[in-house]
Amino acid sequence: MTKTQIIEAAVAAVVLAACLVLYILNAKKPPDENGKKPKGKKFAFLGMLVSGWFLVGLFITVLSGKTGKLHIAFEMFSERVDVFGVSLAKTTLTGAGVLIVLILLLVVLRLTVIRKFSVDEPKGAQLALETVVDFIDNMVRGNIHGYQPKALQPFMLSIALYMFGCALSELFGLRAPTSDLTFTFALGLTTFVSMNVYGIKKNGVGGRLKNMGGAVPAMRPLMIPLKAVSDISIPVSLGARLFGNMLGGMLVMDLLKGVLGGYASGLPAIAGLWFNLAHPGIQIYIFVTLSLTFINEAMELEEA
Amino acid sequence: MNFIAAAIIMFAASLGAGFGMCFATSKAVDAAARQPEAASKIQTILLLGCALAESTAIYAFVVALIIATSGGPAA
Repeated sequence: MTKTQIIEAAVAAVVLAACLVLYILNAKKPPDENGKKPKGKKFAFLGMLVSGWFLVGLFITVLSGKTGKLHIAFEMFSERVDVFGVSLAKTTLTGAGVLIVLILLLVVLRLTVIRKFSVDEPKGAQLALETVVDFIDNMVRGNIHGYQPKALQPFMLSIALYMFGCALSELFGLRAPTSDLTFTFALGLTTFVSMNVYGIKKNGVGGRLKNMGGAVPAMRPLMIPLKAVSDISIPVSLGARLFGNMLGGMLVMDLLKGVLGGYASGLPAIAGLWFNLAHPGIQIYIFVTLSLTFINEAMELEEA
Repeated sequence: MNFIAAAIIMFAASLGAGFGMCFATSKAVDAAARQPEAASKIQTILLLGCALAESTAIYAFVVALIIATSGGPAA
């Protein structure tokens, strides 16, 4: 413990004690005629909260022995670890772990909750699950016109669940697999493959070429190579978008923790809710919607 | 030198993305005010458009990170 830390702790303790006394003094005052609580009480409570947070943060800092200096170690790619002689990125292992946890959870759900489903009296967990499934189902039906592949809803739901699980893993202090370029590029590749598979399944190889060439037959030899290039750029753009967004969120959290230093006990947890839960949620929505849009575009056949 | 390059990239890209999103949002507000019953549909389209406008800035962010963290000739 350094001298400045002792002074900080003393000041925080004095403020805390003063606010506590003020709070107790004001607690007995009745509310005025408008029904508003006395103002001193509110300020005393806020002061107690802030100084208490400061004290707890200082306590944690002293215990952990870390100083409150700004230090950010940023790496574009994840660290690598050796697993039985094979060099693997840490995010790969995290991704595999997330997958295992998700599969176990879903198996447990299948064995316990889904057996108790009833048509007449839907309850708690059933309603929640139905909301999620309904949401994805509506998204697929809204974006895909005409022929509806049956496997598309489970596919999109599993991608969304996997990405959400990856975002949750960041709350446990791991580096999210979605902030690794290889992982997001692989996710984009699944969209690319399903685009072509569904396009060929619906219209045949000739139909897919017609779809790529556009409505005018004379322009097709020129348009097909151009369209092929723009199709190949789809997984790149999907992957880079997801990667940039997730990495940006991670960097903002790192900056916040670095700036707060040792006092990072309360605020990052609240900010993390936005940057680790809501922000990935929006990205998942965009990823699924864009994938569906591209798949729909690949299946459409314009009549000349 | 690398950091200056990254800063210039982020400046230009975020300027463009900001203007794009601002246009899209203003038009979406116009449309939603004119037809409140179509607000949910407009919201979906707006979200998608904003994501596409934003993605240019995100690509620039990735490129800037690569440039800032790579050794480079001048670093």
